[in-house]
Order: sequence, then structure tokens, then C-alpha cells
Amino acid sequence: MDTIPQRELGKTGAKVSAIGMGGHHLGDPKSYDECERIVHEAIDAGVTFFDNCWEYHNGRSEDWAGRAIASSGKRKNLFLMTKVCTHGRQATMALQMLDESLRRMRTDYLDLWQIHGVSFDNDPELAMAKGGVIEALDQAKRAGKVRFVGFTGHKDPSIHLKMIALGYPFDTVQMPLNCYDATWRSFEQRVVPEANKRGMAVLGMKPMTGKAGPVEKGDVTAAEMLRYAMSLPVATTISGINTLEHLHQNLEVARGFQRMSADEMRALRDRCRPKAADGRYELYKVSLQFDNPQARLAHGFPLDAKNIEVKEALENMTNLSPPRP
Amino acid sequence: MGTTRRDVLKLTTVSAALAISGCAHASPRAAGGGPATSALARAGVIPKRRFGRADASVSAIGIGGSHLGDAPNENEAIRIVHEAIDAGINFFDNAWEYHDGKSEEILGRALAGKRQGVFLMTKVCTHGRDRTVAMNQLEESLRRLKTDHLDLWQVHECIYDNDPELHFASGGVIEALEQAKKQGKVRHVGFTGHKDPNIHLAMLAHGFPFDSVQMPLNCFDASFRSFEENVVPVAVKSGMAVIGMKSMGGAGQAIQAGVVTPEEALRYAMSVPGVTVTVSGVDSLDILRQNLAVARGFVPMTSEELTALRTRVATPALDGHFELYKTTKHFDAKVGREQHGYPSLDELPL
Repeated sequence: MDTIPQRELGKTGAKVSAIGMGGHHLGDPKSYDECERIVHEAIDAGVTFFDNCWEYHNGRSEDWAGRAIASSGKRKNLFLMTKVCTHGRQATMALQMLDESLRRMRTDYLDLWQIHGVSFDNDPELAMAKGGVIEALDQAKRAGKVRFVGFTGHKDPSIHLKMIALGYPFDTVQMPLNCYDATWRSFEQRVVPEANKRGMAVLGMKPMTGKAGPVEKGDVTAAEMLRYAMSLPVATTISGINTLEHLHQNLEVARGFQRMSADEMRALRDRCRPKAADGRYELYKVSLQFDNPQARLAHGFPLDAKNIEVKEALENMTNLSPPRP
Repeated sequence: MGTTRRDVLKLTTVSAALAISGCAHASPRAAGGGPATSALARAGVIPKRRFGRADASVSAIGIGGSHLGDAPNENEAIRIVHEAIDAGINFFDNAWEYHDGKSEEILGRALAGKRQGVFLMTKVCTHGRDRTVAMNQLEESLRRLKTDHLDLWQVHECIYDNDPELHFASGGVIEALEQAKKQGKVRHVGFTGHKDPNIHLAMLAHGFPFDSVQMPLNCFDASFRSFEENVVPVAVKSGMAVIGMKSMGGAGQAIQAGVVTPEEALRYAMSVPGVTVTVSGVDSLDILRQNLAVARGFVPMTSEELTALRTRVATPALDGHFELYKTTKHFDAKVGREQHGYPSLDELPL
């Protein structure tokens, strides 16, 4: 069987699988056992890149992925990433989150630690401010707890460009890359070239726009979307997988992957353009739907119970009996 | 819509403070405060402004149409309208889609016998559909408002990046504006939106002779994706009337957080250089009276006062959490979401 291609991670010298496992979805299954089956099968198929984040499912995603990776016995062969969720708050908080992430993920180092969800217009200056999260990246690197560092965000290419313009030597930059982004408020057009020019590895995410809306509406197929995203000049494409069925679909695309031709890509972009133009499929750019409670709280935005982390936190509350009459 | 939004946000406790937010106006012309203005100010009169290049003048503060549908009952809504008119307010906002038509119906009943002297506006809600849809909505609006003409008819909620292109397409809503004007059914035309100055600028770039442009104007907007900075000068240069809205930032979080007082916020909005009228949502007589207290004898803030307030709130304004209409889906209405293939408010509250 064809293998999954491995690609250079920017100028770090590390190599990662062309497809990566999204961490949020690893917290979705009904039980840990299901998560473990997905992780083990992905590892056996040659997936080495594992995404995660301190705040996904209020910690369950790191816990389950960490446990499954530990039980595979293959930690050393994998490229483990998680993200820190200061959202403008201080470096000391970041380092506490790091220790918690390492504990949950049952490892003493991360291959990559990224600033999560750089989504609000003032996030870059807050990250760079004295005592901000950038200082934590440096400290964690010096302490040997993380090998490489980067940042992520899904809101607006301008915010990414502002972050890059700070001049900090990020190893990686993560962003939504798909055939709808390609023509609207486009990370592909505006950020990918800037990152690559600086030797920062580009990590694509949301290859199917996060919720697979266009696939459900029948506008494109999942395979088309994944192939488009993986054909861009990226180190890896992170895809959320919460069932074995989806894993198998992804593996089918990823094994022996050959990039689409420029003509094929242009044709798909053109097909998607009309519905890309109002952002209907890229809700991460136009709504708070993909902004986690930590980000919202830190910035004073309202929460809503549609958010999975909020829902789960409410469900897990105890002592909910009514007051005495 | 106001009610629904607040229900979702659980912000009902600040509704009173919020309601004040919308109204404001301060035209630089009147702002100077010549001897006549000062006399009017001393007399406690609500200032009137010339409506752009049009031969009409409007009160510096207007009554928002959506909130009329939020009043405790129709009787109170009608009393709000009557008391507002008696106090010298002549600008009434509305939209075909507010409360599925109830807002227009209430206003229509309230204006029976009082239409003369009122500057009546409503908005058309094609959200990308063609001129036939627009003309049908116009007939419905006129029927509900019990009038044979509108003083102003505006394209509602230009908030999606491709709205300008859809509106100006052949057979689109802009053609309906021209047709309605020719037929004498509307005297003036304009457009509204709360999302992004760039969308307003794209609308204006077509060179169509809009009579007015409506947009959020408040002390937070001044520091974040600013309509005040980017759109007002362009509109003023073209002789268009500038209609301000969301003087408290739409849902009033800043008031709740104690960052500004409702009076400061309203005064700022009414003092923005270039603004003609500030539309304020009023859903109770209490709120109306709070607004009137600011509007009667209104003298605009000086440019030093404006700068001081802008500067004071600049830092918390920077991430847009005081302007949720720019940064979330919360204020984006049902019909527009449907036409643009977006989830409903229930499915996507923010």
C-alpha cells in the first residue's frame, strides 16, 4: 500500500506527515476506547502529526490523545503539538498551562507549542507585550519542554500578518486553508506566501471549512476539499476526525498523495467562488462559533451554550439543586 | 429583534441604558452653535438639521423602529410616538422586516392624523434579491404605515461582502430605488449596515446618488474598524445625510461594565462631526424621556471633549467586544441570513 508522504516542517529539520490529526475531534467520541482505536489506526497508517489544545473539551482532548499515544508506545516517532490559551493574558499563566498539557499528554516535551486562536485585532500586541505569552515561548524552549513554537488563528489574514510582522522567529503558522478561503478574505493568498518566504512552516486546518457545510449541501465532495487543501504549499493539513469511517476516508486521500494540478485547483476555486463570497461556509471568519470560551472570556465577549466547551462545563456542574424555599 | 437579541445575551438588565444609546446627532454645521443655536439650546428645543443636500430637515434624534415592537404593549408604543412628536422629534426609522411587520404596523397606527411634518423612513429587505421583491415590499410597507409616500427608503443591512455587487446587479434593488422615486412613492433613498466600513465604501464606490447613509456611530467605533473615520467623510463630501445608530454599542455591554454612562455615549454619538440624525431604539416612555433630556437644547461636545472620550475608551474598544454587530452574527437579521445561506439566530447566536 502507498505510504502517506512526509514533508519538511519549514526550516526546523523535522518532517511530518502530510495529513495531521485534529485534536478537538479526538475528544468527540462517546468513549476513550473509540478515541484510542482512531489514534492507533492513524499511527499504524503513518500519520505522525498530532494537533491538540489546552482548552479543547476542557482538557479531555489532550487527556485522551495523550493516553492513546502513550499506549501505542510510539511517542518518540510522533510529532506532538498542543496550544496555549492565554488569549492576551500573561506568560506565567501560559507556563502553568504548559505543565498541565504535558501532564495530560503523558510526555515531558512537545514537538510544537503554539499560541492558540490569535483572533482578535489586538491579540498580536498583547502577545508581544512585556510579560506576554511570547516570553513563555522562549522560556519553554530554553527549559527543553518544547522544541518548536508557532501560532494559530482562523479569523482574519490581517491579524496573522500583524503577528508575523512582529518579527518573532515562529517555526510554524497555522491557518484555515480550503477551496472557499481561496477566494475570500484569503489566508491562502495573503498569509501563505509571507510565511513561506520566512521559512515558517504553514499548517493548514479546516480543509472542509470546519463543519463540512459545503459537503453536506452537496456543493463539493470531502475528497475534493481535502485534496485541494493538501495541494497547497503546506507542511501538513490538520483534519478533524472523530470516527474510524472518516479516518479511512482521509487515509484514502492521503496515501500516495499527489498534488492537484494548477488547472484543477483553479477550476475548483472558480466553482466555489460564488458561495465563498459572503462567508456562509467560513463561519470562523464571521462569527464567534469557533472562538472558545477562554478566548471570549479573556476579551469580554459573551458565551453561548451552543459552544461544546460551555455545554460540557454546564453539564459537569454539580450542586445544582434549587435554593431552600 | 431587540428583544430576541437581549434574550440571547441575557442583557435585559441593561436594556434601559441601552435604549438611550441609539439616538444622536450632531452636525458640524449646527455643532458650531451660532447665536441662533444657542438661543434654541437655552429654550430646550431639539435641534433640527438639514438632511444632506435634500430640501428637508430632521430632528437631531430619531426613534428606532425595531424597539417600538419591543414596547410592553401597543398602547405604550403609540404613546412613545405621540410624545416624541410633541417634543419635536420628526425622524422615524423602521424596516420591512422588523418584528415581521409589527413595527411598521404600530408606527402606521400611531401616525394616523400625524403624518404631516414627520420624516418617515423604512427599509427594504431584498438582501440580494431582485427589484420585484423590493417593489412588493414597498407596497406592503406603505400599506402598513398607512401612507402614500415615504420620505426615505433605504436598502437594509448591507453587511455581507457581496451585498454591494448583488444590489447593483442588473435587475437589483438599486433599480427599485430609482423606480420608486420616479413614481413619487419615496422622496429620498439610502442604505444601511452595521458590519464593516469597507462594505459601505464598496456601496459608495458605485457613485449612485444616495441621499443618506446609515451606520453605527459611537465612541467605540471611533477606535475599531471605524465608520466615523472611514465612511462619514466620504458621505459628507458627496452631500449625503449621515444617519447614526447604535450609539451605545448596540447591546450596551460598555454601559453595563461602567466604561461610559448612557448620557456620555449618546452625547458622543450626537456630536460626531458630520452626523445628521442619531436613531435611538426606544421601547418605553422612560427611555424616551431619558433621550429627550439629552436631546433638548443639545449642544455638541467640543472636539477636545470628543477626543478625550475616544481616548478614554480606546483600549477596551480595540478587540470589538463592545461592538458585537461588527464581530459576531448576533445583530444580523433573519431574512438576510436566509438569503445568504447562513444558519438561523438559534443555531448561530453569536
